Amino acid sequence: MIRYLIKNNFKLMLRNKAILAAMLIGPILVIAMLSSAFEDMMASYESTEEFKTGYRISEDSIFSGNMEEIKRAGKEAGIVFENYPDGDPKAIMEQNDLAGFLVIEGETYTVYESADYETQGKILEYFMGQVEKQVSGQIRNSMFPKEEKEITLPVQKLEFMPAVDSKDYYGIIEVVYFIWCGVVSVAGVLNSEKRNGISQRFQISGMSEMGLYLARWVPAVLTTVCETVVTVLLTVALFGISWGNNPLTILVLLVTTMGAMAVGLLLYSVFQNLAVTIVALFTLVWFMGFFGGSFETYMFSTVSDSLKNLSPIYHVNRVLVEYSCMGKSDYTVSSILYMVAITVVCTALTIFINTIRKRGKA
Amino acid sequence: MEEVILKTGNLTKKYGSQTVVDGLNIEIKRGEIFGLLGPNGAGKSTTMNMLCSITRPTAGTIELFGKNSEKHKKEVIRRIGYIPQELAIHGKLKAWENVELFTSLYGIKGENLRRAVEESLEYVGLSERRNEFAKNFSGGMKRRLNIACAIGHQPELLIFDEPTVGIDPQSRNFILEKIKESNKNGATVIYTSHYMEEVEAICTRIAIMDNGKMIACGTSKELKQMVAGESEDITLEEVFLTLTGKKLRDYAE
Ligand SMILES: Nc1ncnc2c1ncn2[C@@H]1O[C@H](COP(=O)(O)OP(=O)(O)O)[C@@H](O)[C@H]1O
Ligand SMILES: [Mg+2]
Repeated sequence: MIRYLIKNNFKLMLRNKAILAAMLIGPILVIAMLSSAFEDMMASYESTEEFKTGYRISEDSIFSGNMEEIKRAGKEAGIVFENYPDGDPKAIMEQNDLAGFLVIEGETYTVYESADYETQGKILEYFMGQVEKQVSGQIRNSMFPKEEKEITLPVQKLEFMPAVDSKDYYGIIEVVYFIWCGVVSVAGVLNSEKRNGISQRFQISGMSEMGLYLARWVPAVLTTVCETVVTVLLTVALFGISWGNNPLTILVLLVTTMGAMAVGLLLYSVFQNLAVTIVALFTLVWFMGFFGGSFETYMFSTVSDSLKNLSPIYHVNRVLVEYSCMGKSDYTVSSILYMVAITVVCTALTIFINTIRKRGKA
Repeated sequence: MEEVILKTGNLTKKYGSQTVVDGLNIEIKRGEIFGLLGPNGAGKSTTMNMLCSITRPTAGTIELFGKNSEKHKKEVIRRIGYIPQELAIHGKLKAWENVELFTSLYGIKGENLRRAVEESLEYVGLSERRNEFAKNFSGGMKRRLNIACAIGHQPELLIFDEPTVGIDPQSRNFILEKIKESNKNGATVIYTSHYMEEVEAICTRIAIMDNGKMIACGTSKELKQMVAGESEDITLEEVFLTLTGKKLRDYAE
């Protein structure tokens, strides 16, 4: 009966006080230390003042039907668009003290940025990236428009992320980061099993590899969920971090934990050594975090979109941050699917590797 | 005719070029307490590990309960209770939690599991200490807990691998008495040791093993006769030393 094994492994994890404390205090400490540093970093992006941007749009542009909507959304994001149909963009920018200039022709657009307004330039770039994504998303959604001759894009409404509070952003992201490291909570069980030669008892009882895997994975998920719940509550109580009120936040955190534990156990089955596993895991998580906005906010980081999208941390960070500041996110499905896929693939691989290894050894 | 519980055919294990177990032929019948006596490094533990399917033999066959142990592994190993030489218990689990964990591996659950845990603890005399962490136990108590973890599923064949190494005389005596008791209650027992007196005291038949080979097998009386002729005026220790030689054994345990 695997449930007793799960129960006792769970007890072993909870009795590993040092690791438990590190996993609880760790994120709080990091948030406390870094939030002030990050505050300055984010403050430069939180343009409290509106800025002016010139634009020009050709009549054949696919965006031509949406310009009013783009302007409206821009206003929300703090960008005031002014139309300059003629002239050299650079000269116009200089003459009128514009932060940027947008030229839209056909299916493409070009953003001119001013050296004096670096931050605003980044914001404009990010804004247009969002516009492009949303517009293309809505085109795909209506591949077969009802009225066949409809040429203009059926864009109804563009939505932009309101400015995120740096405290919220980094609070959420640190919690996600620590979830990824949560597999160290299994250390208590793995150490004790190794030191005490427990595995032979599993062998002589004919325990299946699947059972053995679940007996580690389930309590690891449980332990990390407990830690995360406490940490989240602490972030709210101590730092006033807003997690938003979308109940899907819980689901996203749960599937993230499930996937992260599966990755950790896979690494352990490969390396068979806790120290090496933890180094490998931390390295992997660091890279995923680097691409996924754990250090530099993903909104303004210079990492390419395709690299960002590769990182599961990016999807999770993004969905949680968007839940926090606007209550919904286009990344809900992708983040959940990504984490579930990771869970399934890593589980299968771990069981496969362990089965092969045991065959070879016996 | 008595039922044969275990039969090995030329059982052999090699680690690289070293032959650790060398063409072992043993036959054990139901109801026996079979002693496997041998100096350190003789290959006793390796043999026991092969019987329990922890280690795969390099060559030879194992038949348990009349079945090929490789082909019917799942069915066969559940009828064995193996008490490993090295303690295999979680220090940070309480005594009863250890027993619960390892007994549950055999598919026992609920009320049956609860009862099995209590009976196992009772059997090794640890009922009163059930709520203490294993890491705080003395050597003898750990050994007893190690036994309790292997008997909850009521195995027909009990394999003890040097269960009395490094413990106090009381615990040692207790364990030997319990083995005899289990045997009276129907269990067949394989007992390995390098202590002559123990083996002589409880075993119905004894095999002497050295360098992976079985060099003699029989009742203690038969073994003595073999060495000293009809006089039998010899201790088992002298038999052992005569057969295995007096060279010092500096193997690691
Ligand atoms: N996994 C292993 N790899 C290599 N040699 C081993 C291994 N296990 C045991 N041995 C060797 O096999 C011999 C017999 O060991 P063992 O069966 O433990 O003896 P015993 O239990 O009689 O003291 C020893 O020389 C030991 O070093
Ligand atoms: Mg041994």
